[in-house]
Amino acid sequence: MEKKTASVPAAKIKKSDFERSRYLTGVFFLVPATVLSFIFVIIPLINVIRYSFYEWNGISDDMLWVGLQNFKTLPTTEGFWQMCISTLIFAFGSTALIVLFSFIVAMALDSKNRNRVSRAVYRTAWFFPCILSGSVVGILWRIMYNYNNGMINKTLKGMGLSPVNWLETYGLTNVAIIIAAVWFQMGLCIVIFLAGLQSISTEINEAAAIDGANEGQIRRHIIVPLMAPSITINVLTTSIAAFKMYEMPWLISNGLPGYSTRLLTQRIHFFGIESAKFGLGSAMAVLLILVITAISLVQLVVLRKREDIY
Amino acid sequence: MKQLTKIVSSVVLFAFTVLMWVPIYYFVIGAFKKRTDIVKHPLVINLKMFTTENFSYTIKKMKLFSALGNTAFITILALVLIIIAGSLAGFAIARIKGKLFNIYYGAVVSLMVIPFIGALIPLISLIKDLGLYNNLWGCVLIQAAWNLPFAIFLFTGFMRGIPKELEEAAYIDGCSTVGIYWRMFLPLLKPVIATCCIRSGIGIWNDYLVTNTLLNSVKMPTLMVAIYQFFGQYVSEYGYAFAGIIMASLPVIVAFIFLQKYFIKGLTAGAGRG
Repeated sequence: MEKKTASVPAAKIKKSDFERSRYLTGVFFLVPATVLSFIFVIIPLINVIRYSFYEWNGISDDMLWVGLQNFKTLPTTEGFWQMCISTLIFAFGSTALIVLFSFIVAMALDSKNRNRVSRAVYRTAWFFPCILSGSVVGILWRIMYNYNNGMINKTLKGMGLSPVNWLETYGLTNVAIIIAAVWFQMGLCIVIFLAGLQSISTEINEAAAIDGANEGQIRRHIIVPLMAPSITINVLTTSIAAFKMYEMPWLISNGLPGYSTRLLTQRIHFFGIESAKFGLGSAMAVLLILVITAISLVQLVVLRKREDIY
Repeated sequence: MKQLTKIVSSVVLFAFTVLMWVPIYYFVIGAFKKRTDIVKHPLVINLKMFTTENFSYTIKKMKLFSALGNTAFITILALVLIIIAGSLAGFAIARIKGKLFNIYYGAVVSLMVIPFIGALIPLISLIKDLGLYNNLWGCVLIQAAWNLPFAIFLFTGFMRGIPKELEEAAYIDGCSTVGIYWRMFLPLLKPVIATCCIRSGIGIWNDYLVTNTLLNSVKMPTLMVAIYQFFGQYVSEYGYAFAGIIMASLPVIVAFIFLQKYFIKGLTAGAGRG
């Protein structure tokens, strides 16, 4: 290609002129996106790292440099370890249950004897909660979990069982917010699993059936391994979403009892808004960003690998 | 035996789907009932219980129309910015050769993973410094900026798939690069624009964190902040809360009914191809 243009100098000049103007137009095209991201994403991200080395209330002019002190103080702040544990319980618990249940539902929806219409109706039905907002889902489940008047306890009483204190029992409240998260987020995983299942060709299943494999064996030895990429994607996206979640669990449980269901995101908000400890809050934000970035990096590596395979 | 397992699995699936829809059923019929009826007969439909008082009360007390206006303003303007800035940058990355564009794309992809809550604290002081506190434009710009990386990712991916010959033909006909973007690529982008609008649009419409932090929730409520403040922690009037929930989600639900396919595609976009 280069040799060809070199032999015709006039064409080369013309082409490079053209290329240059095209390049400049391209650079110009990047300007709006760059300006927006720079002011509202990059600068705040630089600042969150900077603030984490200072003691500052967010308003006054004197920012006191404290080095790594914020990171050392953080573990000694009230409830820090409980909040870490509750964040991990929430993230891993909801991820495991969401992926497991949505896989089962997707398998049930995909079975070959189901016609297309009923499959579409089911898919829409399961997807629906995903379009609601975290605030809406939070308020709805808080009402349902209410001890005296909530629907769940009313139903339990109606069946002759004793009511359960969903929102003020250690351990059980963690389960309560996980159930709400499962209800809220399952639809996305189901759709991704369904797409994965449809990409498995029927010939593979038929071949296995001819070789004498029963349905359980096909499921275990063919479908699950072929679905591994979808499972990975769902585990990663769901766990990232769980680490980011803020208002839905807060509206349901208020972080109670004690600090047992309070999440790190909620603590960052608390430090930033209510108690004006920008330094400590920023240090916590840096920690959370590191955790989420680490999970996302795994996701990117996995995605890259898959692109190589196909 | 085989027939039996099929029937059992169908029944179980149906039962679970019904169970999953109980909360939705509960709040939809609850919105039309009085509090005492919701508490006493949570799942019963009875025309004697019918009331629309919940809605009239909520519309009045929640400043629903001003909240709706603010939410719509933020969502629509942010989407316009996202589409303009995103498609321009996507075009440059996808169609123009150069190291700069590759590096830029890498930076965009890595920004996609950063959670908004991480930058919350510096954004508070930044917005105050810029004089944008309690200003809808502050929310528009922040939402646009934080949704932009994903939009650029989508646009770039789509535009890479457009054959080069089309573009070359346009150049031969004397079209400029800007003209190619404007007259040729933008019309082709409609499906990605739809995907992008739904993905970012739902996120922005349903957002609580950005608007709650940057707007005064009393003077300048958005829908999600309004229902959070109104029904958040000490909710006892269930009927009002359910009416608020329905009205805050209604625009999204109506759009979902008509644009289901795009919704499912939009919300799962970028999660890998199957």
